Amino acid sequence: MSLVVTKIQKNFKQRDVLNGVDLIVDKKEIHALVGVSGSGKSTLLRIIAGLETADTGTVTWDGEPLLGTPPHKRRITMLSQSPLLFPHLSVGENVTLATQNRSREQAEAWLDRVRLPGRYDDDIHELSGGEQQRVSFARALAAEPRLILLDEPFTNLDPDLKYELQRLIRDLVQQLELTALLVTHDREEAMLVADRVTLLEDGEVLATGTPGELYETEPAFGDFIELSGSSYPATMMEVTEEAGEPVVLVRQLNRFGNRLGEYRLATGTYVILPRDESFQVGETYYLRKKKGVV
Amino acid sequence: MSRGSVGLSVIVLLLPLAGLAFLAGETASFEWTSLWRDAAWRASLAVTLYVTLVSTTISLLIGTWLARTVRIREAVWLSALLKLPMFVPHVAGAYLFLLLFSGGFPFYGLVEANERHHFVVILTYVWKEVPFVFLMMLGTYGQLNRGYLDMAKTLQLTRFEQFKVAEWPFLLKPLLDSFWILVAFISFAYEVPALLGVTFPELLGVLAYERLTTGLFLNANESYAVALVWTLLISVGAFVSYLVTAKRRRRIEKGVRR
Amino acid sequence: MSRVLIISFILFPFLGLLFGLPSPIRLDEVLMNTVFYVISLAVINVWLGLGTAWWLIFTESRWRTLVEWLVFIPLFIPVMASMFGMYIVLANVGLVGTYAGVLLVLLVSTLPYSIRLAYNAMYVIGRPLLEQTMTLPPLPRFSMVLFPLLAATMRTIVLFSTVIVLGQFVLVQLIGAGLIPTVTTQLYQSYAGNDVSLALQNTWVLILLPVLLYIGLGGLFRAAVRIMKERLR
Repeated sequence: MSLVVTKIQKNFKQRDVLNGVDLIVDKKEIHALVGVSGSGKSTLLRIIAGLETADTGTVTWDGEPLLGTPPHKRRITMLSQSPLLFPHLSVGENVTLATQNRSREQAEAWLDRVRLPGRYDDDIHELSGGEQQRVSFARALAAEPRLILLDEPFTNLDPDLKYELQRLIRDLVQQLELTALLVTHDREEAMLVADRVTLLEDGEVLATGTPGELYETEPAFGDFIELSGSSYPATMMEVTEEAGEPVVLVRQLNRFGNRLGEYRLATGTYVILPRDESFQVGETYYLRKKKGVV
Repeated sequence: MSRGSVGLSVIVLLLPLAGLAFLAGETASFEWTSLWRDAAWRASLAVTLYVTLVSTTISLLIGTWLARTVRIREAVWLSALLKLPMFVPHVAGAYLFLLLFSGGFPFYGLVEANERHHFVVILTYVWKEVPFVFLMMLGTYGQLNRGYLDMAKTLQLTRFEQFKVAEWPFLLKPLLDSFWILVAFISFAYEVPALLGVTFPELLGVLAYERLTTGLFLNANESYAVALVWTLLISVGAFVSYLVTAKRRRRIEKGVRR
Repeated sequence: MSRVLIISFILFPFLGLLFGLPSPIRLDEVLMNTVFYVISLAVINVWLGLGTAWWLIFTESRWRTLVEWLVFIPLFIPVMASMFGMYIVLANVGLVGTYAGVLLVLLVSTLPYSIRLAYNAMYVIGRPLLEQTMTLPPLPRFSMVLFPLLAATMRTIVLFSTVIVLGQFVLVQLIGAGLIPTVTTQLYQSYAGNDVSLALQNTWVLILLPVLLYIGLGGLFRAAVRIMKERLR
C-alpha cells in the first residue's frame, strides 16, 4: 500500500463535490479514477497534489500524512490536459528546471525517453500539441516523483497521438516502476492504460477493481471482453458466421500458427482496442461492443 | 462608424507628435550647453530622477502585490477600496495631502520638515498610482493561467522559483508598460509638485512651466528644449527596454496557454 | 494587521476634506466650464475610444500597426512636454485662448487611455463573440448586445477621462491663455491667495464630479439594460 485516501469530504458552494471518498493506490500500479465531469475526480486529484484543501478526511503515503504538506514538498507531480510548458523557457530548460540538481544531461536523457532527442534548445511553440504533452510528461518525471498524477492528459489530442501517448506513458511508468493515478472520463482509456480502476459517481466511490473484475460486476462499466495473457507474437481476429450468427474468433498464434483461444461473441459490431495495430507480446487487449449498432 | 472614428482618432493622436516636431523646430538654434551650465536645471534633474524613480518603484511594488493578493486570496473588499483614489484627480489629492501635512494636526508640518526629501510629493503619487498599477496588474493576473502556478508547485519548486517561472514572465510586459507610463507622467508634471514641492530644487516640470510663463515667454526656448530633451530621453529609455526584452516577450506570447 | 494598514493608507487623505468649511458651491462660469468639458470629453472619449478599438480588433488594414503605435506612444510622452509643442501649433492656427483649443488638447491627453481601455475590454470579450453580433442590424446590435457587454467599460472610460480632465491645470491655463477658468485653475488661485475655504470647495467639486457621474451612469446603464431585457421578453 502506498497512497491511502480516507473519507475525503469536500463541499464547494453548498454542494458536495466529494462525499467521503476512500481510495487505495498500490505502489507500481497505474490506477484510473473514472467518472463523468462533475463527479469530483479532478478535485480529488488536486487535493492529493495539495492544490486544494479537503474539508475532512486524510491522505497518506506509506502512513505519512500529506494534507499539511505544501504541494512543492509532496514529491507528487502532475500532468494536466494542457501541457503548460513555461513559455519563457526552451523545451529542454522546462525539463532541466524540474531535475533535482538542474542538470542538462539528465534533461536530455528524459527528452530521449519521450522520443524527442535533440529538441533541447527549441522554443516550445515550435512543437506540436502532442510533442508539448510529451515534454510536459518528461518534466513531470524529471522531478523524480513518488506518485505521478495524470489529469486527463489525453483530452486535447487527436486519436492517433492519443494512442501513441497512452502507450508511451504506460510503458515509461511501468519501466521506471512508478505509481500513477489517472483521472479520466473515458472508460476505454482507463481499460487501456490502467491496472486497476475506481469508478466515481457524484462524489462517491461506486466500485474498484481490475478492468476484468469491473466488467464482471459492474454492468454499467461497459461491454468489454478481455484478451489477456497473450505471450505470443501475434493476435488475430476473424469474424465468421455460425448458424446465421456472427462469431468473432480471436486467435492467439504461436510461431507454429496454432489456434490457442477462441471467443464467441454475441451479435453486434466489435472494435478492437487499441486501434493501434502494433500488438505486443504480453499486452492485454480489449474488445468493445459498439453501442447502438446491431 | 468605426472607420470615421479611427480617422478622427488618428488626427488627434498625431497632434502630440506634431507638437514635438514644432518643439524641435523652435529649439533648432538653441544653445544646449546652457542648460547644463544652469545649476537650477542640474539640481532639478537630480531631484526629478529621485522622486520619479522612488514613486514609480513603490507604486509598482505595492500595486502588483495588492493585485496578487486580490487574485490569490479573492479579497473583494480590497478591489472596492482601491477604487476610491481613482475618483480623485491628482490636483485634489495633492491639496488633501497638503492640508493634512502642512498645518498642525495630525502631522505637524511634515511637508516643511521633510521638504528636501519630497516626502509628501512621493506619498501623493504613491497614493494615486497604486490603484492604477493595481488595475493594470489585476487584469494581468486575471488572464494568467493558474495552471502554470499549480504546475510549478507540483514540480517541487520552491516558493521563489514558483514565482519566478509561473508569474514573473507574464508580469514583465505590463510592468514595463506601467513603469514607462508612470515615469512619463510623474517626471514632467506641474500640478502635484507645484502644490507640495519645495522652492529649490524644483522638479523639472515645475521649473519648465515657471520659466516658460514668467517674463512674457522670453525664456520659452529654454523650457521647450528641456521638454524636448526629456521626452527624447524617456523615449530612448522605453525603446531600449522594449528592445532588450523583445525576444523574451515574443517567446512568451507565442508559447503561452490562456 | 496589514488590512488595517491598507485601509488607513487609502482612506486617510480624505480626512483633509473635513479640515474646514468649504464655501458654498455655486453654478457660476467656473463650474459651467468644468461641467462642459467633463461631459463633452466623456462623450467624445466613449465614441472615439470604442470606435477605434473596434476597428483595431477587426481590421485587416496594413495601417493597423501604425495606428496601434499612435495609440501606444502618447502614453509615454509627458503630457506637458507635448503640450508645449501643441501650444506652438495651436498658436499658429489661432486656437490658443479658445474653448475649442482647450477641448482638443484635453482630448489628446485622454484619448490614448480610452482607446486602450476599450481595446482591452473587447479583447477580453473576444473577437468570436463580437463577430456573432455582426449578424444583427446596427441598431439592435448596439442596443441589445454591445451596450450591455460594454456598459462597464464605458463607465470606466468616463471615469478615467473625467479624472484626467479635472487634474489638468497647466493645460487649461496655457492653452486657454488664462481666459477659461475651471475648478482646477481656481483651486490654484485660491491656494495661492490663501483662500482655504474656496480651495476646499474646489477640492470637494473635483472629487464629487467623478463620483456623481460614476454613480449616475451606473444607475442609467442598469435601467437601460433592464428596459432592453423587458423588450426581449
